[in-house]
Amino acid sequence: MNTVVLEHYQRCWFIRCFERAIAKQASAGNVPGLVHLSTGSEVADVLLGHWVDAERDHVTGSHRSHGLALACGANPIAVAKEILGREGGLSDGLAGTQHLLAPEAGFLTSNGIVGAQVPLAAGAALSAKAAAIDGTGVAVFGDGAANQGAVLETMNLAVALKLPLLFVLYNNGMAQTTAATDATAGNFCDRARSFDLAAWSADSASYDACSNAVQKAVAHTRTEGPAFLEITVTRDHGHYYGEERNGGFEHSQAIDEFGEWLVASGVPEKSLSAARQTAKNDAEAAIAEAASAPLASPEILKPWIQSTGGAGG
Amino acid sequence: MTLTQALNGALHQVMEEDEQVICIGEDIAANGGVFQVTQGLEGQFGAARVIDTPISETAFIGMAVGAAMTGLKPVVELMFCDFAGVCFDQILNQAAKARFLSNGRVKLPLVIRTTMGAGDGSGAMHSQSLHGLFASIPGLTVVCPSTPADAAGLLKAAIQIDDPVIFMENKQLYGVEGLVDEQLPLVPFGTARSARSGSDITIVAVSAMIQTALAAAQALADEGVSAEVIDPRTIKPLDIGTINNSVKKTGRLLVLDEGAAYGGFADAVIAAVSGDMFGRLKAAPRKLTPPDTPVPYAVMAEKFWLPNAQDVIKIVKTMMKGVAQ
Repeated sequence: MNTVVLEHYQRCWFIRCFERAIAKQASAGNVPGLVHLSTGSEVADVLLGHWVDAERDHVTGSHRSHGLALACGANPIAVAKEILGREGGLSDGLAGTQHLLAPEAGFLTSNGIVGAQVPLAAGAALSAKAAAIDGTGVAVFGDGAANQGAVLETMNLAVALKLPLLFVLYNNGMAQTTAATDATAGNFCDRARSFDLAAWSADSASYDACSNAVQKAVAHTRTEGPAFLEITVTRDHGHYYGEERNGGFEHSQAIDEFGEWLVASGVPEKSLSAARQTAKNDAEAAIAEAASAPLASPEILKPWIQSTGGAGG
Repeated sequence: MTLTQALNGALHQVMEEDEQVICIGEDIAANGGVFQVTQGLEGQFGAARVIDTPISETAFIGMAVGAAMTGLKPVVELMFCDFAGVCFDQILNQAAKARFLSNGRVKLPLVIRTTMGAGDGSGAMHSQSLHGLFASIPGLTVVCPSTPADAAGLLKAAIQIDDPVIFMENKQLYGVEGLVDEQLPLVPFGTARSARSGSDITIVAVSAMIQTALAAAQALADEGVSAEVIDPRTIKPLDIGTINNSVKKTGRLLVLDEGAAYGGFADAVIAAVSGDMFGRLKAAPRKLTPPDTPVPYAVMAEKFWLPNAQDVIKIVKTMMKGVAQ
């Protein structure tokens, strides 16, 4: 078993522990609004972060993108500060949990509007194509977003313009609070194929198979053109934290199965527990540092204010 | 009764009385709406009249426009007015223009219920107040209730008329309590409400800003300044007569609004009053809006962004000195 795989296990746990610490901060009233936790998609996030190249690719994500931003390599302390509305956040607290922008890490943006990140990734793909750097755009979105016009239009556009764009659909079965089965016609891969996209599906609970699928999809996008990958994930909390609860922090099917597979492959349990402990320590340290930073000051707005004349104050 | 309960009561009443009324939106049926406004409707009226949709605003707003053109009376929930960005063609070009293009032959009894308002840390794409933007589009009626009684009464009026209505519920007001007549009497459009009478200055405010205006007016009264607070209730049609009559009495106008700093509702009211009442004004009309930026996320930045009572008091005092800045 190579060390990269164990490192991936640790990264998954880092994301889960990061989200748990964010949830604690939310419960303590230290998060300005609601947070949409990415617990349940850790394995998918980490594999995308691994196979995407921050130097030439750009990933865009949904409102539920803490884990994806971290997996792409965004600075965890800056991410945490942004979520907590602190000085030194990615955008100094202007943007917040749903609008994480870390282009330096290849994570272009997450988005407050369901599906809106998908055409943006097409733009990143167009830039990469124009620059002839063999780069890709990677649009990560949910089964809910799959029914947005912007997403369907982008599928057509990507094929028409032969964009190096990878559509990654995280299927967690729930569109906000409506079950995907009540809101979706047909099958996602068939839908993608009808646009002439190369399409595959994978389950993030099978780390190895999922890793191969992500690798293949990214490579295809880079060399052949637009592609589609549906990854089955879970949503271990509600639409937002505090709403309802599935597995919570204790049981995330994909990470648990990843761990079992590692043990079955001969990795000693003590290596796993050490990885979990390190992840927990790192995540809690990052959140603690973020939480001890000063609240973002109203001064952050000043550079953005234009006088429109006649305003009071 | 809270504003949520008043809206919920009005929907129950109207759906009971008129089978053509249907509700459409995301998470509104089984879940009762993310703000609980449609709670219990599916149980009482069934899934054929209370319809959960995919996250496909263009499709379901457009479907509602078409349904309104062909006999149904849809009340659609657009979860946040920010999401109008997703489906703006259906609002701007389809809903707003169909009656005009048919020279009145087509009726369009459509209500788009949506939310507005900052103050809960929801960030730039879930906090906007776009009533002025909608009101600038010919063909749309725009409603911003600030009390439970007005919310119920205006919603009933909105469902009754044959024009498309954008009905804007402020997220910060859902829990506000108020006395409401059990019958939920209808509130006609284009009739402003005097929220407080006074003689020195007229403060026009809508939605949650009414509360800010009232708090400021109370503090100003302690300092001997008598402020009249007017809630237009409908942004369009606007009851300019009531506002003008108040300015005739006070000679001063401040518009307090959470909407656009530039080209928004506040500017529209000031332009109208300046034109109509120029000779009566004792000070230049002023507006107080958030700065011309998106809504920031961080707590103190968002608090700074929203106009507050202290800001109102400061401007009113300046205006009372007769200094036009």
